[in-house]
Amino acid sequence: MSPEELPPPEDEEDKRLMSLVASGDDDALRLLVHRHHGRLVGYLRSEVGSQATAEELAMEVFIRLHRAAGRWRPEAKLTTYLIHIAHNLVLNEWRRRGRKPTSALDSAPEPGDQSHDSARRVTELDEAFRKAVALLPPEQRTAILLLVQQEMPYEEIATVMDAPVSSVKTWIHRARTRLRELLKDFYGPA
Amino acid sequence: MNQPMSQPAGHDFDQDLARALAQGRDMPTPGFADRTVQAVRADRRQRRLIRWGSALTTAAACLLAAFVLTGGSDDALAQRARALAASDESSQLNDILGLADELAMLTPVVDRHTVVEALINPEL
Repeated sequence: MSPEELPPPEDEEDKRLMSLVASGDDDALRLLVHRHHGRLVGYLRSEVGSQATAEELAMEVFIRLHRAAGRWRPEAKLTTYLIHIAHNLVLNEWRRRGRKPTSALDSAPEPGDQSHDSARRVTELDEAFRKAVALLPPEQRTAILLLVQQEMPYEEIATVMDAPVSSVKTWIHRARTRLRELLKDFYGPA
Repeated sequence: MNQPMSQPAGHDFDQDLARALAQGRDMPTPGFADRTVQAVRADRRQRRLIRWGSALTTAAACLLAAFVLTGGSDDALAQRARALAASDESSQLNDILGLADELAMLTPVVDRHTVVEALINPEL
């Protein structure tokens, strides 16, 4: 395959689609949404703990992206930009609720029975991790989600969270420490 | 009673954390793109309406302001002119008598009876 035939890198494709969206191309918008919504909904669900709210917020992210399409400059990756909008909406959602979000389960995670089989233990452990992450303070949760779940580098996380890289590192360190405390029954004391 | 699991699957905190969170990394929702495009179109229509409404309101406000600002002075002049005309019957006489000396017509009519006589007497 010649270089001309290679598909454009993801970022280039996003830029191309964004310029089409700016000119009012709804098919390009549909494609853009199709490319990014899964990741966005995944992140938002981990933040707000509800699939319905996550989808609602993800839709709002794309509406805002569409409004800003004409002014958008590809200085950062589109994924970073989308998560940045999503993060701001999450902050608004927290303010609207008047409290920090929690997952469906408010209690601290408990370890499973040792007699369960391996697959069951993995499931329980995963659930315990998700509950523990939901119990983290907002900044720590967002930072650890972006790092581990979204696999973002520190610099991108800092961009998304409008914070210095040093703060991001601190939040992640504290998040790990707190998670170890919450899951000490699984891993022993931190 | 649950017993602590000292040896969980993976045995590694970071690895287990990554696995647990990775499950929520990508959650595609069927029909989401179509619903989003519909929502964007609705938003676009709404914003267009708001823009038009805003433009029309602005235009109306400008017209009103122009009318008030420019019409205000004219109106004052017109009112004064009307007051003058009301206090002076010369225009009515001008209508009746036809062309006349303008200065004469501006002279207030003192003897109305004489004028009426002049009007009804074709010989005058």
